[in-house]
Amino acid sequence: MKLTDIITAANRNLLKNKVRSFLTILAIFVGSFTIILNSAINAGVNDYIDSQINAMGGEGYLEMTPTATMDMMESMMSSKVSEYSDEKKDASQSISFKSEDFEKIKKIDGVKSVYPIYLSQEDYVTSPYTDKKYEISLNGTVEGFELDMETGEMPNVSKDNTKFEVAITKKYVTLLGFKDNEDAVGKTIQFGVPSTAKCYTVAKRSDCQTVVEATITGVQADGILTIGGGARANAALLNEIHRINSIGMPAENADVAYQATAFVDPDKIDQIKEELKKMNITAMTIDDEIGTFRTFLDAMVAILNVFGGIALLAAAIGIINTLFMSVQERTREIGLMKALGMSRAKIFLSFSVEAISLGFWGSIFGMLVSMTIGYAGNTFLHSEGMFLENLPTFHFVKFTPEVILPIIVLVMAIAFVAGTAPALKAAKKDPIDALRYE
Amino acid sequence: MKKASPRAASTAKKAPASFPVIEVSHLSKTYGKRTTAFKALDNINLKIFPGESVAIIGKSGSGKSTLMHLMALLDKPTSGTVKVLGINASKLKGKKLNRLRNKYFGFVFQQFFMNSNDTVLENVLLPLKIGKVSRFKRKKLALKALDIVDLENKAKNKATNLSGGQKQRVCIARAIVNNPKILFADEPTGNLDSGTGKKIIDLLFGLNQKGTTLIIVTHDEDLAALCDRQIRIVDGQVVNESKQKAGYIRRTAIKEGQKEDR
Ligand SMILES: Nc1ncnc2c1ncn2[C@@H]1O[C@H](COP(=O)(O)OP(=O)(O)OP(=O)(O)O)[C@@H](O)[C@H]1O
Ligand SMILES: [Mg+2]
Repeated sequence: MKLTDIITAANRNLLKNKVRSFLTILAIFVGSFTIILNSAINAGVNDYIDSQINAMGGEGYLEMTPTATMDMMESMMSSKVSEYSDEKKDASQSISFKSEDFEKIKKIDGVKSVYPIYLSQEDYVTSPYTDKKYEISLNGTVEGFELDMETGEMPNVSKDNTKFEVAITKKYVTLLGFKDNEDAVGKTIQFGVPSTAKCYTVAKRSDCQTVVEATITGVQADGILTIGGGARANAALLNEIHRINSIGMPAENADVAYQATAFVDPDKIDQIKEELKKMNITAMTIDDEIGTFRTFLDAMVAILNVFGGIALLAAAIGIINTLFMSVQERTREIGLMKALGMSRAKIFLSFSVEAISLGFWGSIFGMLVSMTIGYAGNTFLHSEGMFLENLPTFHFVKFTPEVILPIIVLVMAIAFVAGTAPALKAAKKDPIDALRYE
Repeated sequence: MKKASPRAASTAKKAPASFPVIEVSHLSKTYGKRTTAFKALDNINLKIFPGESVAIIGKSGSGKSTLMHLMALLDKPTSGTVKVLGINASKLKGKKLNRLRNKYFGFVFQQFFMNSNDTVLENVLLPLKIGKVSRFKRKKLALKALDIVDLENKAKNKATNLSGGQKQRVCIARAIVNNPKILFADEPTGNLDSGTGKKIIDLLFGLNQKGTTLIIVTHDEDLAALCDRQIRIVDGQVVNESKQKAGYIRRTAIKEGQKEDR
């Protein structure tokens, strides 16, 4: 018997017992549905997190802070009273990077580039299209960032670019008086930048502020990492702000970096962190920062998969039962086919294909329904008032062949395994006993 | 040349020196164990030569079907041997056995054994499907076989909806669809009226004429008389073997008929 004939025959046999087959497929469907939807959510959320991490420079992006700063923050947050020690106090002095630190960091194996973050402070942002001034938090962007742009481009990060450029977030578009994203791109906005030392001597804050103009290169999509965060500026703009901030300060006070960032080889992150730790520098990747969220997500996925797995196990028992009944009912047919020269292997295959078909249809329906519900749910969560409303690029579910196919194959494999015992029983039947069976 | 071949075949049949297609020696079959043990066949010896027509006759329960099943390698003897084409059946396993069943044997079972939910056509083409014949070709061959038994118009019907005699003819169509070398027929006319029965008999002997070895199980003495040889079984033992002239007469008659056709 040819394989195509076996497959057709198997599916026709399933159709002969519609109710029984349907119920078995339903059980498989429940398990497949759960696991497919679950995996699609897992893939969707993780994909989004990855895209956000890439926006922040990707896996090889490290944020470095002197360990003393971290300790200080910890003791500030802690409710315990710590014992005083001279060493600790000494160590806490070094909450900023020393200039030789950067030379040392650059020499660590796997480090590609290091960027000190100098203090830069801006008071407000405004534009010619509004009377109001708004607070803003301006962050840097360097080579390697892939900001999630909704309109326009990232600021030009090349060192030769002397133009002041900024990518704003979506909520500033209307605040700054633009009609829409397109309207904002290319326009000039103003930042009010204080010269900190001077501010102690003047009566009005505005007397120590300098206005810096910058061009909007694009609008970022709102994301989990941009929600509190504001705009992203290129180095030229940040350097200018820092220069204005430091006016009137002695140089040794001005050029102090309390934080730094680095791009490193992602495979060597652990060693690099270890090296930095010896230099009393704490390094964190974006992944570390959102690590707890990932752990939570993974745990959720694991729990739901266990439920799906239990459903599949029950379904497997259903398959075994269905097939044993089928073998029993078709004893005579099996005997006839053997008498007419069908091999044991082909008889085994016939019943296995029947089991696999049950798995196939169950998982296909599982896929279709989970896709329908998944996409509908995604649309719903993005509708007005729902929590994804402001995160248009966050696709809650992701149904790709890489997510779905392995699950369908797995379910079919489980069905095959479940079908082996009945299929073996059928294959072993003797033609004469089967023919005698009434 | 064409005319010469059937005659050459029939000469071969008459020569007892030719090699037997089936050889049964000291064959016994016991059903059940100890207290329920029942010896259905007891020390049977016989040879069947290529192109022969052989009738196995006897009363109900005498062991005819049992013997046929053993010769067709559908069952295993308790003791003794069955040789097919000179090969001991106990050595025939797996692929070879399946090929033999599928390509060389044709079966008409006493209880029909049809897949009652399938169509008549599906039932008839089953041996070809198992034998990997292409979809198109097997349909053509099955329709031809149905035409021979006068049931072409029932091809699309469900097998359950046929009358007893029609079912029997479907079984015969299925048995001949693969153009077998040896045809085993267990009571092939058991459910037929004399008219239809005669048609089937003509068909079977027509095949025999073209070289198919015919083994017919029957309790119908008239049908048995048409065969080259009769093997009579009583309580699992062969009581006598006889050659009746009627068989030859009949064959000659068919031969004459064919000559007229040409
Ligand atoms: N599987 C079995 N178990 C026990 N006894 C059996 C079995 N099969 C057949 N028999 C017995 O063996 C004997 C021969 O049976 P068999 O079917 O060969 O008879 P038969 O000559 O074909 O009869 P009929 O003309 O009625 O078909 C019978 O007495 C029957 O009861
Ligand atoms: Mg019988």
